[in-house]
Amino acid sequence: MVTCALPLLSDKMAVAAGSGVKVPRNFRLLEELEEGQKGVGDGTVSWGLEDDEDMTLTRWRGMIIGPPRTIYENRMYSLKVECGPRYPEAPPFVRFVTKINLNGVHNSNGVVDTRAVSALAKWQNSYSIRVVLQELRRLMMCKENMKLPQPPEGQIYTN
Amino acid sequence: MAESSGTDPTVDSNVVENAAKDRTMIVVTVKTPKDKEEIAILEDSSVAQFKEEISKRFNAKLDQLVLIFAGKILKDGDTLNQHGIKDGLTVHLVIKTAPKATSGSTSQNSASSSGTPQANSSSSASSPVPNASTPPGTGPAIQPPNLLSGFGDLSSLSGMGMGSANFMELQQQMQRQLMSNPEMLSQIMDNPLVQNMMSNPDLMRQMIVTNPQMQQLMERNPEISHMLNNPELMRQTMELARNPAMMQEMMRNQDRALSNLESIPGGYNALRRMYTDIQEPMFSAAREQFGNNPFSALGGNLDSGVQPSRTENREPLPNPWGPPGTAPSESRGTGSSTTTSSNGGTAPSVSSLPNPLGINASGLGNGVFSSPGMQSLMQQISENPQLMQNMLSAPYMRSMMQSLAQNPDLASQMQNPEALSVMTNPRAMQALMQIQQGLQTLQTEAPGLMPSLAPGGIPGIPSTTGGSVAPEGPPPPTQGSNPSADVSPSQQQQQLMQQMLQMFAGGVTTTQAVTPEVRFQQQLDQLSAMGFLNREANLQALIATGGDINAAIERLLGSQPS
Repeated sequence: MVTCALPLLSDKMAVAAGSGVKVPRNFRLLEELEEGQKGVGDGTVSWGLEDDEDMTLTRWRGMIIGPPRTIYENRMYSLKVECGPRYPEAPPFVRFVTKINLNGVHNSNGVVDTRAVSALAKWQNSYSIRVVLQELRRLMMCKENMKLPQPPEGQIYTN
Repeated sequence: MAESSGTDPTVDSNVVENAAKDRTMIVVTVKTPKDKEEIAILEDSSVAQFKEEISKRFNAKLDQLVLIFAGKILKDGDTLNQHGIKDGLTVHLVIKTAPKATSGSTSQNSASSSGTPQANSSSSASSPVPNASTPPGTGPAIQPPNLLSGFGDLSSLSGMGMGSANFMELQQQMQRQLMSNPEMLSQIMDNPLVQNMMSNPDLMRQMIVTNPQMQQLMERNPEISHMLNNPELMRQTMELARNPAMMQEMMRNQDRALSNLESIPGGYNALRRMYTDIQEPMFSAAREQFGNNPFSALGGNLDSGVQPSRTENREPLPNPWGPPGTAPSESRGTGSSTTTSSNGGTAPSVSSLPNPLGINASGLGNGVFSSPGMQSLMQQISENPQLMQNMLSAPYMRSMMQSLAQNPDLASQMQNPEALSVMTNPRAMQALMQIQQGLQTLQTEAPGLMPSLAPGGIPGIPSTTGGSVAPEGPPPPTQGSNPSADVSPSQQQQQLMQQMLQMFAGGVTTTQAVTPEVRFQQQLDQLSAMGFLNREANLQALIATGGDINAAIERLLGSQPS
């Protein structure tokens, strides 16, 4: 779709970011899309557009692989990430699709509480979807979370 | 020229491949948390084909592989194109290790056992309504399948706590096992039907409220209705019920708090009062739903001492809290009901089970129900050993014990709490008898149909309101061979039924070898002399009371309106 334009964009964006200019939303999101497809990072989180035809680049899907030696091990948690119009100045809305028992995630609908995740609470425009996903994964490894009993695998929030 | 995505060499190979084939090969990087491999695959491949390649490279089985791209899990039926997987992009791989196998089997267990809890919960969901509105004939018909389907689950459960002839111990064991094995409870809980029920506070409220016993409870105890009407509290309670770990915590906390309370001098009485007000009505209401317990009013008589005449009465006592005449079982012995209600009001039912179980009782599946009720009863009984003695001295109990001793198999079934509550519920027994009759008829009609069933005859099972079933002679000696281990729950249920009936039959035959008519000839004469002309009803009453004329008269008087 738009991947042909990416190599040029990323160069431009690198320059722009370095000089302190605010990068336009769509450019940022396109870069994040490319990163998601290339698997930038340690391979424990993944993200991408929910719908490839989404021109507004608003609705994203994320996946977190449960960290080993925790109760989340071997599980994959699917998330929905919504990047609003003010992204990246404003943090995205994040909610779990796969049911999870984690502090900071509402039991009833999987919505992630902005105040519970420091990346969301103290959001900076240099943060990205990847950062949020990785932070959530780090939360899974915290002592207070790593042993929480979990619902059976495969359940999703219906609302 | 970073090699992280390996684009450069593939340009060359792509050109080569392009020249060699019509379709294009792409190289996709497959990344696991530990590993990274580059896999060449045809552009228009399906995910399944991709996985084949991956399983070869990573030495893993196909069903262990989970592929993720751009935040989505790749399903076998999709194609790489569908997800936009192109040359040089990276797909994440998770190789599921052994834990997946066990979680698969536990999910299978929950799938199979959730079948029966589903039957339980669906029938328990429907049973409060039928109990309220339908005539007694259909009420009991709904209950036995309810209870029987619990056999399949609970008999396996009781198998876990075997080896104890002490009812109370078994109860406690079951309770402990239930609580210590969150799997089972969570299996019940995770049944989508139950979950749907629980997640709808309105539905729960309705269910609880439509139960007439609960309604009476609520009238008497405004706190309960307050609790039910407070949605927040309901939700909390349901969350609690849903999360077994949380519940365990809460229970432990409550237990500790209670034990602390007990040590305070005046605290014990306060506790008793507290439980009388709140818990006992709920327990009895819960018990009511699943059959009257003969010991329910007995337990309530703790303070006033034991009344032997009642212990010999095989019939379960009417609901001391029920208004006379609402249910057929309560129309009997209205005199006894008024005394018991006055006693029941003051008697404590002390148990160490905290409130969550009381709430639990009203909301959850079958198996959990009878345990808290039975356990509190057993505790009361153990507190008053005299009670136990009287119980045991009743002729009925004696014969039961004898047949129990003779038949160790039966003993195991007996300890099944469900079996107990069924046995003590006259309507259930009547229905069981009808089932047995039906089976017998079937057997005579189509002998080859049910080879494993042997009719145990129709012994003198206490029936309630002068039903059409007349007790026949002693059971024929054609007892089929049952003791072989049964596999399916339905076979188990049938076996249980037969054994129970055998036990009754055994009880009847060990004490006398003649029909009840002959046995009660003298009493029958007395009754007809007094003016009770309905011989059949007299006989039923005598059988039910075990020959006790006074009790039989009470029954007859109570059942006359019906």
